Amino acid sequence: MREVVVVGVGMHRFGKTGDSVVGTKSVTELCRHAVDMALADAGVKWKQIEAVSAASSRFSGGKGWGLNGNDVVENVGSTGIPIYNLSAGCAAGGNAFNVGYSMVAGGIYDMMLVVGGEVMPKGMIQTSGVEEATDPEFLRQRCVGIPGPAFWATLARRRMHDYGTTEEQFAKVTVKARKCSVGNPYARFQKEVSIAEVLASPYVSNPLRLFEICPVSNGAAAAIICTREKARQFTAKPITVATSTVATMTFEDALPRGLAGPVPAGASFHTEARGAVLKAFEKAGIGPKEVSFTELQDNTCYYELAFPEEWGLCEPGEAERLLEAGETAPTGRMPINPSGGFVSFGEATTAMGVFQIAETTWQLRGQAGGRQVPDAKVGLTQTLGLGGNATAAILKR
Amino acid sequence: MENHSPCVPGLFEDQGGVHLLGARCVTCGTPYFPRQAACRNPHCGESKMEDCSFSGRGTVWSYSVADFSPPAPFKCDPPFKPYVIAVVDLENGLRIVGQMMNEFEEMKVGALVELVIDTLYHEGDVARTTWKFKPAGGH
Repeated sequence: MREVVVVGVGMHRFGKTGDSVVGTKSVTELCRHAVDMALADAGVKWKQIEAVSAASSRFSGGKGWGLNGNDVVENVGSTGIPIYNLSAGCAAGGNAFNVGYSMVAGGIYDMMLVVGGEVMPKGMIQTSGVEEATDPEFLRQRCVGIPGPAFWATLARRRMHDYGTTEEQFAKVTVKARKCSVGNPYARFQKEVSIAEVLASPYVSNPLRLFEICPVSNGAAAAIICTREKARQFTAKPITVATSTVATMTFEDALPRGLAGPVPAGASFHTEARGAVLKAFEKAGIGPKEVSFTELQDNTCYYELAFPEEWGLCEPGEAERLLEAGETAPTGRMPINPSGGFVSFGEATTAMGVFQIAETTWQLRGQAGGRQVPDAKVGLTQTLGLGGNATAAILKR
Repeated sequence: MENHSPCVPGLFEDQGGVHLLGARCVTCGTPYFPRQAACRNPHCGESKMEDCSFSGRGTVWSYSVADFSPPAPFKCDPPFKPYVIAVVDLENGLRIVGQMMNEFEEMKVGALVELVIDTLYHEGDVARTTWKFKPAGGH
């Protein structure tokens, strides 16, 4: 295995179709912006890119076949390079990073582009377009009707039961996240909100409110990765990819994802995310206590409380206390989502794994401005996608 | 008298109580709903599936509310009215999701509930039905 580094990152600010940020830009235009920025950041020319690993979108571009990497390469200039289009639900960006990392580490290519972008349809994400009795998602939505937020809300309600979490504490996560987003030029929302404003926003799925759930956004991110040896031509201080991992859920998973399953023996939540993160700690030889900050997938503020506990960053039931003591802020002992997270960006689903790599790179370089984690040395990232997909990565300077 | 018909055929029967049509692997005991042809437990030595039905009572593991109408393929009679969704652990070892018949204010984690068949939406003069839960009586 060769050591892999990040030499350049780029991002298109996140926004909503029709606004002044993304307007009517296509997913390929958003990606082009991110790719140009990453190439300039790295000092790399397009013709030096040997292969592309791209997240496949279900919602836009890609010629309707998830060929988003092909769209990007045609747009930047067809050089005949191999293109890998990766599909893993909302974990696709993380998967694309993992495949790029694995190929560079494994000696297949010396320098690759990783890219993910999305233009999202309005409203709640429709998880299945299939209307067949053999499709589990169809049965779940037709026979019961469980939109994504209601799935998260059952988990949030269970946490309230298990640990006494209050609705005010959920609201405080959003307040913290939005405070981080102030001055982040890439965030869709860049203004603080008060607890009162969060608690005045309507329930999307009780107990979770509008400001506590990430909306869908349009956006794109890109990263240029290469071997450490290759990087010497471009920079003296590349960011090291300590590891990148992928995992899927296990049979023991306790979450109500389908219509029904066996009553589990214990509390085994998000087994794919836990699998990816624990494998990342093991492969990198870096423990949770050595992590300077974490960029995790907060589709809802519930995850900022649950995930750190599920991965051993803190003890079960401890997250609320850490939040209220300011320890999850960029200046705290366990900073979570200094970028502002999905709650501030909105989710451009398949871009998110690459978005996390870009933010983590800026943090480790000390370029994160007002949201900078002081003396950040190690960053952990994590995505989660439909189908029981998850990824993690650990970057260090 | 209104005609009743399941919203998706083959998932349940409503004769002499509610029966969800499921299966169980005889080797490892894993319950399945809907029916599956083969066991999915990677730790199971040999898949030996037997049809069975799930009925009766369970306890609420957690719950939430669909405060806004879910996207298609969800269907309901207009206008949309928020409904409670519960995750219920049935006495016979199945964790299952379903709509609740009662209001949010009456919900509690750990509450005892029972399976019922109820109308989900209408298609012409046919009431399309599904399984739901209501508070278990007498407790």
